[in-house]
Amino acid sequence: MAMKFVAALRRGTRPSGNQSMHAPVVRSRTSLLRLEDVSRVFGMGEVEVRALADVNLTVESREFLVVLGPSGSGKSTLLNLIGGMDRPTTGHVWHYDDDLAVMSDEQLTDYRRLKVGFIFQFYNLVPTLTAYENVQVATELVSDPLPPWEALQMVGMADRVEHFPSQLSGGEQQRVAIARALAKRPEIILADEPTGALDLQMARHVLSILQDLNREHGMTVILITHNAGIAKVGTRDIRLASGRITEVRVNERPILASEVTW
Amino acid sequence: MGRWSHGRGCRRMSVLDHKLWRDLRGNAAILFTVVAIIAVGVGSFTGLLSIQRILRNSQANYYRQYRFADFWIDVKKMPLAAAERLERMPGVAAIEPRVVFDVILDMPRHDEPVTGRLISVPTRGFDRVINGMHLMRGSGFSDTRDEEVIVGESFAKAHGLEPGDRIEMILNRRKESFVIVGTAISPEYIYVVQGYGSLAPDPEHFGILYVKEGYAREILGFKDAANQVVGQLVPDYEQDVDVLLEQIDRQLAPYGVLSAISRRLQPSNRFISDEIHSLGITALIMPSIFLFVAVMVLNVLMSRFAQSQRSIIGTLKAIGYSNWQVVEHYLSFGLLIGLAGGVLGIGLGLSIAWGLMQLYRGFFQFPTFQYEAYPDLLLIGMALSLVFAVAGTAKGVRRVLQLHPAEAMRPKPPERGGAIVLERVQPIWKRLGFRTHIALRSLFRNYGRSLTAIISGMLATAIIFAALTMRHSMWVLLDYQFEKIAHSDVDLALRDSRSVDALYEAQRLPGVQYAEGVFGLTADLRHGRASRRVTITGLPDPHRLTTPLDDRGRPIDVPPVGLVLSDKLAEQLKAGAGDTLELTPVLGERQGRRVPVASVVREYMGLGAYADLRYLTRLVDEPPAVSSILLAVEPTRVNALYRAVKQLPEVSGVNVRAQTKVNIEQTILRTMLFSLTLIILFAGVIGFGSILNASLIEIADRTRDIATFRVLGYRALQVASIFFRENGIIFGAGLLLGIPFGYLMVRVIAVAYNTEMFRMPVIFSLKITLLTAGVAALFVGIAQWFVLRQIGRMDWLEGIKVKE
Ligand SMILES: Nc1ncnc2c1ncn2[C@@H]1O[C@H](COP(=O)(O)OP(=O)(O)OP(=O)(O)O)[C@@H](O)[C@H]1O
Ligand SMILES: [Mg+2]
Repeated sequence: MAMKFVAALRRGTRPSGNQSMHAPVVRSRTSLLRLEDVSRVFGMGEVEVRALADVNLTVESREFLVVLGPSGSGKSTLLNLIGGMDRPTTGHVWHYDDDLAVMSDEQLTDYRRLKVGFIFQFYNLVPTLTAYENVQVATELVSDPLPPWEALQMVGMADRVEHFPSQLSGGEQQRVAIARALAKRPEIILADEPTGALDLQMARHVLSILQDLNREHGMTVILITHNAGIAKVGTRDIRLASGRITEVRVNERPILASEVTW
Repeated sequence: MGRWSHGRGCRRMSVLDHKLWRDLRGNAAILFTVVAIIAVGVGSFTGLLSIQRILRNSQANYYRQYRFADFWIDVKKMPLAAAERLERMPGVAAIEPRVVFDVILDMPRHDEPVTGRLISVPTRGFDRVINGMHLMRGSGFSDTRDEEVIVGESFAKAHGLEPGDRIEMILNRRKESFVIVGTAISPEYIYVVQGYGSLAPDPEHFGILYVKEGYAREILGFKDAANQVVGQLVPDYEQDVDVLLEQIDRQLAPYGVLSAISRRLQPSNRFISDEIHSLGITALIMPSIFLFVAVMVLNVLMSRFAQSQRSIIGTLKAIGYSNWQVVEHYLSFGLLIGLAGGVLGIGLGLSIAWGLMQLYRGFFQFPTFQYEAYPDLLLIGMALSLVFAVAGTAKGVRRVLQLHPAEAMRPKPPERGGAIVLERVQPIWKRLGFRTHIALRSLFRNYGRSLTAIISGMLATAIIFAALTMRHSMWVLLDYQFEKIAHSDVDLALRDSRSVDALYEAQRLPGVQYAEGVFGLTADLRHGRASRRVTITGLPDPHRLTTPLDDRGRPIDVPPVGLVLSDKLAEQLKAGAGDTLELTPVLGERQGRRVPVASVVREYMGLGAYADLRYLTRLVDEPPAVSSILLAVEPTRVNALYRAVKQLPEVSGVNVRAQTKVNIEQTILRTMLFSLTLIILFAGVIGFGSILNASLIEIADRTRDIATFRVLGYRALQVASIFFRENGIIFGAGLLLGIPFGYLMVRVIAVAYNTEMFRMPVIFSLKITLLTAGVAALFVGIAQWFVLRQIGRMDWLEGIKVKE
């Protein structure tokens, strides 16, 4: 029954969205992401908050990078810069040969649209759209997306397409949010505390999906958490403290998401 | 609780006051939309009532000070002794016999003939007689000369006349030259029109000339006689004036009573009183609509406020604030809005009154017409604003009261999921796209808010549609009366009816292509108990220059026997085709004749009646005669015709159809343009304001969704397009409901203004409908621009962090 419905949906779905920016990118030999002496200072009148200070970081394609750090250490600030939502006060954020720091708002919008899939701590689903439609929100933006139902199938939500966010549990909502992120076939998936509001069981499920995207589909995942138990899921984990990277560790043998405990 | 807690509360209230100010500032744009709607309501209320009172007071003072008459009796000619007898009738306080005489003036610098109305006045004390004059310029009559004239102020201005100038006219076949010794106005001609037929003053072509009583009698052939009596009633006699007029009519019958009217039907008074009356009606309807919308919009705003601040309210209550303290906080919110709306509205009202006053100055002539601000009206305006603003907060306040502290501290229940009705039609629903889905779902789920916006949109559309339609109706009316029915270029009114030979003379006048004589017979028409004094127009056979039209616009040939009645007259007499009326001419023997009604025609002005000319003269036992001549004129030779007409003493008035029409059009255009602009702007404010209000609230509610869209890579315009869809639907619904509602409004207004003088054609015009849609779309479009700007400026990096 559900599959029949999904099939019907597929027929009715016509991917639309901005085609122009989706031309094949000429990859240079440089890294996927390279942060060069990045600082981000928030001016609050008299007080200045230095959220990031001289951060240097390179992220290669197909990495699974976990960013750890206590609250207020600058994790979200870092993610916002990488995600093209914010610009550094000084320094450069290179995406291959493009510097996000000097891009116009329009260019940043295209970058977010075509390269990045976001996953938020509180899911940020549109409450008045069904699961299917919430994924559609993303697929309409690009020319060659996964069909929404396929994305939902990948996160095990294919039988809930018709449900609204209020009818789903937190973990289920987060899976829909992941489907929304991956349906664009982004290069990079950025997840800010994706398991922050979930119990261990659900967290494992969500992490395994991310791990799968990284391993089987070649997407680069950057995951932010203050939960040290998650660090070893990544191929590399870095630690932030007071806006500086204090530690970088490469995991030769990342653990499976199902092995995570806290 | 008691004093103690209240005392402590007062100290804490200062914290709440801070919150109040921050809330006000944070929602400045939303609040402004409400304040604007209230201001428009209060403004139109105070403005219209102020100008109404200014007009009414100016009129009343003028009437009292210069002894405005209570009745007018026009006769062919009566001895002064007969007039004096009237003074002894019960109910009559004073009378004044006069000679009133229309003449053609030869004004230098003016090709076309100008009609002057001579009115005889005493040499001394002309400001103290009934319908006394107020001297504007000059010194008044001297004792040295007879040939002196005081001219109407507007006429003098239009012709650049100064005291000392001369004015020439032909009186009793003699060319007379008068010296202007002053200019004046009079309560009888506050609105200087010749009669009902001329809807607008035309100072270029019509003016009043006051001449010395004795000299006027002598030169016009009214020795010891008069042709008009004006009179005043004893106090509290107004109700019985019609009975009195009937008695007078009978008593003066031998002298041929052409008309006997009370104040109510006096043209100038009628126009002003109608204006005052309609200002009152507008001052009732418009503000009611605006304030009603304001209450609705404010309700939406405040209940949303209470909803979004539930946790704050809960916390306050949990800390120990009393219900009253919290409610007071929200009430002061409403009061501040009311105060702002009131202050703005009063300012707006004063400007409206001022603007209308400048407009009226152009039409109405008062000795004193002072701008005045009435404190009581302003206070009422302020009170209305406060009352309505507080009423608008009622729903929100109730919600605040109902909130239980514990319940309020729980997070807001998740937004209702579930499908709306429309989704049952899957094939269509699936085609709409998620942005339309969001728009439709939020429309249906926030139905209170949507309904408010739709109703406001409907009212705004209806007001715009009604205003435009009424203006259009005015054009239709003018076109109908001055093009479709009348085709003559120039009409000559003859001083007395003359034999049809006059027609041959007229035909020989320069430039005349074709002439038709008509015969006007003033008579009482009676059917059962209903009776009306009208002038029946006798038309020749064939009648090419006048074509009465039936209710479908088809030309009617006046039959050889019987009367053709205008629809309003037929209605007044409760008569239709086939009925028989009793016709009693006012001149000569008052003997009734039975005449059949042949057909009924449609007319929008006056109480017209037509008959065949020969039939009509036969009816009064006279040979065929004409009392005015209608001319079709070669356009290039019209000035030659004018020159010739100026030399004809038997012509008492000239009417150039095109000129009359243009004058009315321009005058009405000027009046209507101001009020129309005002009404459309105000309607725009409520349509624009309520839609913007709904959108801004929605944007605030959807901050997180919008932020998410932006992060995902949607542009501001793409996000805004969700709101465009929503507002488009609201706009469409408002339009769809507003047009029929507006049409209904026009119908009601048309009934309210359906008088013997004037009827408004009710026409549904597709062009007006499209124009309304265009104007409404413009206002909604501006609102959309604000929506886009608000979304573009939103700090979505902040918005993204908002939790459910
Ligand atoms: N818009 C802003 N204005 C001012 N200061 C800010 C702003 N955003 C972040 N900060 C400050 O920058 C610092 C880093 O913030 P950030 O949100 O990156 O921390 P985080 O590591 O994500 O913390 P958490 O784990 O609590 O989410 C904090 O001290 C924060 O107060
Ligand atoms: Mg954070």
